[in-house]
Amino acid sequence: MRKILLGTTAVVGAALLAPAVAEAQEAPTVRIGGFFRAYYGNTQQSGRNSTVPSGLATNTSGATANLAQSPFSIAGTTNPTNPSVPTTESNVGTGTGQVARLSKNDFSTDAEVHVFVNGKTANGLSYGAVVEIAFNQQEGRNIVQQRASTGKTTASIDEMYAFIASPMWGQIRFGDEDGPVGGLMNSGVITNFGTGGIYGDRESFVTRQANVRTTTSPGSLGDNTKIIYLSPQFFGFDFGASFAFNYNEGEDTGCPSNQSSGWCDTSYAFTGAANFGIAAAGPNQSVRRNEYQGAVRWRGSLAGVGLSVTGGYVGSGAAKELSPLNVQRSVFQPLGVWQVGAQASAYGFTVGAQYEHGASNFFWGNLQKGDRPMDQFFAGASYTVGPFTVGGNYLIQTVEGASRTTFGYNAAGALTATNNAAGAAMMRRLGYGIGANYRLAPGLDIVAEYSSYTVAERGRDLDPSNPGVQDRNTAKVFILGTRLAF
Amino acid sequence: MKPALLAFVAALPLLAACGGENQRLVGNDEYGDWRQGRARNRPQGASAGIVVFGVDKDREAREAAASGGGSGLSVNAYLWRATLDTLSFMPLASADPFGGTIITDWYSPPSANGERFRAQAYVLGRQLRSDGVRVQVFRQTLDHGQWVDSPVSVSTNSDLEDKVLARARELRSQSASR
Repeated sequence: MRKILLGTTAVVGAALLAPAVAEAQEAPTVRIGGFFRAYYGNTQQSGRNSTVPSGLATNTSGATANLAQSPFSIAGTTNPTNPSVPTTESNVGTGTGQVARLSKNDFSTDAEVHVFVNGKTANGLSYGAVVEIAFNQQEGRNIVQQRASTGKTTASIDEMYAFIASPMWGQIRFGDEDGPVGGLMNSGVITNFGTGGIYGDRESFVTRQANVRTTTSPGSLGDNTKIIYLSPQFFGFDFGASFAFNYNEGEDTGCPSNQSSGWCDTSYAFTGAANFGIAAAGPNQSVRRNEYQGAVRWRGSLAGVGLSVTGGYVGSGAAKELSPLNVQRSVFQPLGVWQVGAQASAYGFTVGAQYEHGASNFFWGNLQKGDRPMDQFFAGASYTVGPFTVGGNYLIQTVEGASRTTFGYNAAGALTATNNAAGAAMMRRLGYGIGANYRLAPGLDIVAEYSSYTVAERGRDLDPSNPGVQDRNTAKVFILGTRLAF
Repeated sequence: MKPALLAFVAALPLLAACGGENQRLVGNDEYGDWRQGRARNRPQGASAGIVVFGVDKDREAREAAASGGGSGLSVNAYLWRATLDTLSFMPLASADPFGGTIITDWYSPPSANGERFRAQAYVLGRQLRSDGVRVQVFRQTLDHGQWVDSPVSVSTNSDLEDKVLARARELRSQSASR
């Protein structure tokens, strides 16, 4: 096995580095690019309420005390962090509670600065690196102490990778980058209008209540550190494949301590793994292990109509649950999603559709054992005339909402699996976006967009902060703003 | 399963090389950019962004193409046209669009008898830049029926160069607005 691996590596290496046509060597160039955008957003969202804090970081000197709501005493309260404050409708008493509406209006800015290095060797290999610096690492300002905080606009790295490419053998990308299925080679995902419609910047305005924020877009499959092979195009076909060991990115092992916890992305088993099917907000940490993607794409034109068709598959394993009794048990299904998409463009019109099916949760998370697979259909169209582009897109997804099984530990420390009655119905997530942009100058756009996204699951309360059962939640966002790409 | 998968992965580039003449490298800008689709509408891949270090080959190629790369000129077409225009008040002795040289014959302005001028202009490259043209003016005065070389005022050469550049700019803005 190891011999095969070594052998093939040598062959591929030799093939890649073999001198092709003698070409002039080009000294590397360094380019700066990126974008800036500023939007006004008006949001109407179910459950968009300010309720009591559920564990806000506080410190002894009281630096953040003024950010939290003042505690008050009420009979029968069970807030674990602040026993005098109720957390859910069940302990609010008569259901009046501390609930206030959030503002519907907001501005949102974002920017990225991209550094591109490109060069060419004497034998015709092109090489380079891309480093994308983003400024949206944190969803809110993180205040640790009175004078110790990290800003919301803290710089971080979005993607960074190096590549080496030859016309004969294709391209290898190595680093934090999307995979062939997760953004590089998709067809039919029409987002070239407004901010991208249902896959656009609407998430910047939607709060996390009721989960009407997150869509399962190709890009959200993740830019975890991977190695990617992208073939040359021949007879209209090209294909790509990628592999990643886990879901994390960047330097270091991803294990900040010597414990085998969910915060260690190389751990194959840890206690509480059942909670990490979907990455925790912020860090790219989930149980996804050994992720592989493969995609084939055909592009061509028939009677003046440009066509593109892609089929692909993403799969991965999952970390296991480790009980206090040192027993490892698999609680997740392998990730495995098929994807097929097609688009056609002519006379300024582009129409496309994509279908995905397979074992995945709503945000590319591994399904728990016994859960049903995800189905997603996406369709979109756009029309460009002169400086104007208008378009719309639509998606519908059925996915396991509440998991059908609840995993836990009994008093003896053994893993238990109990049937979850709330998991009987499938969750439906559907949305649409319509938008337009006007190009003022190359790279400078005025954009306007309206989108609506609904999450529904029969019989399940998706907004526990409010009294009653809300089994259907919607977020509608109107965006008006400008974007400059440079 | 795993060895088969590995073998498949290893075979991918070998398979890719079977395309022969129908094969080409897929440009970096032909892959999706999934930063929520936001960084669209700009050149991607090797020509993304603004060069801060190194030679901008794309820009050179672009400017060469814009300035008539296909018209048989090996120098910047705007500068070439502008030089011809500017020196058109003098009779032309020779013009070599490949070398970028324009040499005029002797010319005596009607207002100034007993004085004649000749100019040599060099267009220096494909790029439209302020140091892309050199003009050298020669002056002779009639002294006892004999033409003798005499000095030219220092600003004459640079004044003419400025005129050429201004005209080139005019030409470029005209063609850009079309």
